[in-house]
Amino acid sequence: MRLPLRFTLLQRSITMDYKSMEMRMVYAHTLNELIEANPNVLCLEADLSKASGTNPVVCDKHPKNFINAGVAEANMISIAAGLANEGKIPFCATFSCFASRRVYDQATISVAYANNNVKIVGTAPGITQGPNGGTHMDFLDLAIMRAMPNMHVYSPCDPFELHAMMKYMAAAVQPTYMQLVRSKVTALFDETYVFDPQKSVRLRQGGDVTIVATGYMTQFAVKAADELLKEGIGADILHFPSVKPFDVDGLVASAKKTGAVVSVENQEIIGGLGGAVCETLSEHHPVKVRRLGIPDKFGEVATENYLFDKHGFGVKHIVEAVRSLVRAKK
Amino acid sequence: MSATAPGGFARDEYDELAKKFRFVITDMICGAGSGHIGGALSLVEILITLYYRIMNVRPEEPRWADRDRLVLSKGHAGPVLYVTLAEKGYFPKEWLPTLNLDGTRLPSHVDQVRTPGIDMTAGSLGQGLSCACGLALSGKLDGKGHRVFCIVGDGESDEGQVWEAAMFASHYKLDNLVAICDYNKLQIDGTTHQVMGLEPLADKWKAFGWEVFETDGHDWDALFTTINGAVAVTGKPSMIIAHTIKGKGNRLVEGKVGSHNIKIPDGKTWEEYLEGCGCRYDLPYCRGV
Repeated sequence: MRLPLRFTLLQRSITMDYKSMEMRMVYAHTLNELIEANPNVLCLEADLSKASGTNPVVCDKHPKNFINAGVAEANMISIAAGLANEGKIPFCATFSCFASRRVYDQATISVAYANNNVKIVGTAPGITQGPNGGTHMDFLDLAIMRAMPNMHVYSPCDPFELHAMMKYMAAAVQPTYMQLVRSKVTALFDETYVFDPQKSVRLRQGGDVTIVATGYMTQFAVKAADELLKEGIGADILHFPSVKPFDVDGLVASAKKTGAVVSVENQEIIGGLGGAVCETLSEHHPVKVRRLGIPDKFGEVATENYLFDKHGFGVKHIVEAVRSLVRAKK
Repeated sequence: MSATAPGGFARDEYDELAKKFRFVITDMICGAGSGHIGGALSLVEILITLYYRIMNVRPEEPRWADRDRLVLSKGHAGPVLYVTLAEKGYFPKEWLPTLNLDGTRLPSHVDQVRTPGIDMTAGSLGQGLSCACGLALSGKLDGKGHRVFCIVGDGESDEGQVWEAAMFASHYKLDNLVAICDYNKLQIDGTTHQVMGLEPLADKWKAFGWEVFETDGHDWDALFTTINGAVAVTGKPSMIIAHTIKGKGNRLVEGKVGSHNIKIPDGKTWEEYLEGCGCRYDLPYCRGV
């Protein structure tokens, strides 16, 4: 049955209401869009398709493009490498702990070394694993994947960026790892957003300090900057949707202006965004840096707020870190 | 002995080809100073049968879309695949003596990015059969008729991922996939029986939903018949357990624990290893002649 045009447009606008969707739903619906545009796009899962949102969104609508590998993540990644070798564009989702540490060797050899066009999606990264707790909390995926040659590493901060990023990933032929927070996050962009992995995005202007954030933490960095403004401290907020490639020029230009940098990530501070910031600045323009995130610790079962407090990287900690850095500058 | 068999197969010529391959493999590995000789020599008849008698390929067009694929999951056997590909015309034979040397396009473990004709990178054991599942599944999704062959080592079969792939292939009914286990019964630390027992190997694959064949991996007729039988299977993937001898055809390493990897000098010279082949070939690209 052909639906009247107005009805299909309405349906489309409902489906595309990414602003109010959970991130996993944006992931699933965007995958459907990508599959409709290019049937070579495939959705691979390892028995966590309900957690990724692709069940039933993708498997009901595009069953032929939906492949469940069962609880066998390593196998899934190598299968994806084989599929990519034949021109398919597989998006493989599983919890980020399994998508990084468990499949490290498969991602290295079958995907990155062989330069196969596989998209690995790590869901519920960092402290967002919630009641699954410490065993499932992965604080290292950015660090692990960033250290791997050929691998692009992304972390979207809102539904519109996720949507744009996935469209980019489907079009660009290169191995990619993307973090995916499953829950709803504050929209910082809109439908016009265009993703460019070479560029960081300035979300606030300020001359006193540079706050560098990625993914899920960017929304909190923006909140912190707004609070700081009330006390007269102006922050440059640089959001890095891509941790690799890394926008060296954007960071250095901002650091030259402000002379102080705070990095914020839902990750261990070793080797991830904070690592990239320190490596870059120490080579190009050394300034005082404070890294906020998980300080060389494992996770535990707890609420996100508890973990923000325990590890010191929530909004109030960002504010405090900036205050002390700005004070030290004077 | 009759010179020819069905399909214009000249047994005597193939025997000669196999001897030449073994000589060149030995020369390449000696030239590199070390290498995985045992598991390369055990595959000579299998690769010749595949590339000369079974597989539909175009050496002048290595990425031809409708070609049959080969995944050498035991990627360390690279040298035997390199000889085969060079003889078939995928790349100049002059590349062969560059095995593992600085700047080479022929690394010890097969690499699809560096070498024409390599369908899949392998080397970290256990991943190749999964990759082959991806190749085969893609063929199914696209309704293509080509076949995917995958050579798995017996020692490699200790890896759990092999069995994950085994489950996947039968679940998705990948009957365009034929795996061959190079069952030479030796791995690095000793016999497979001592290190990690695989038996009953055929029953394991059967239990995972595969059609299972067993053959002598050095017998031309048996190999040809068995592989064709496996290709004809429908509704499930096939596993051919090929009984082979590690280091076959070089008396210095044949059937010996420790033949996995040799290092020159290890008390023997390049010349002695070449003599171990029991024949000599005066080939311009062999460096030890």
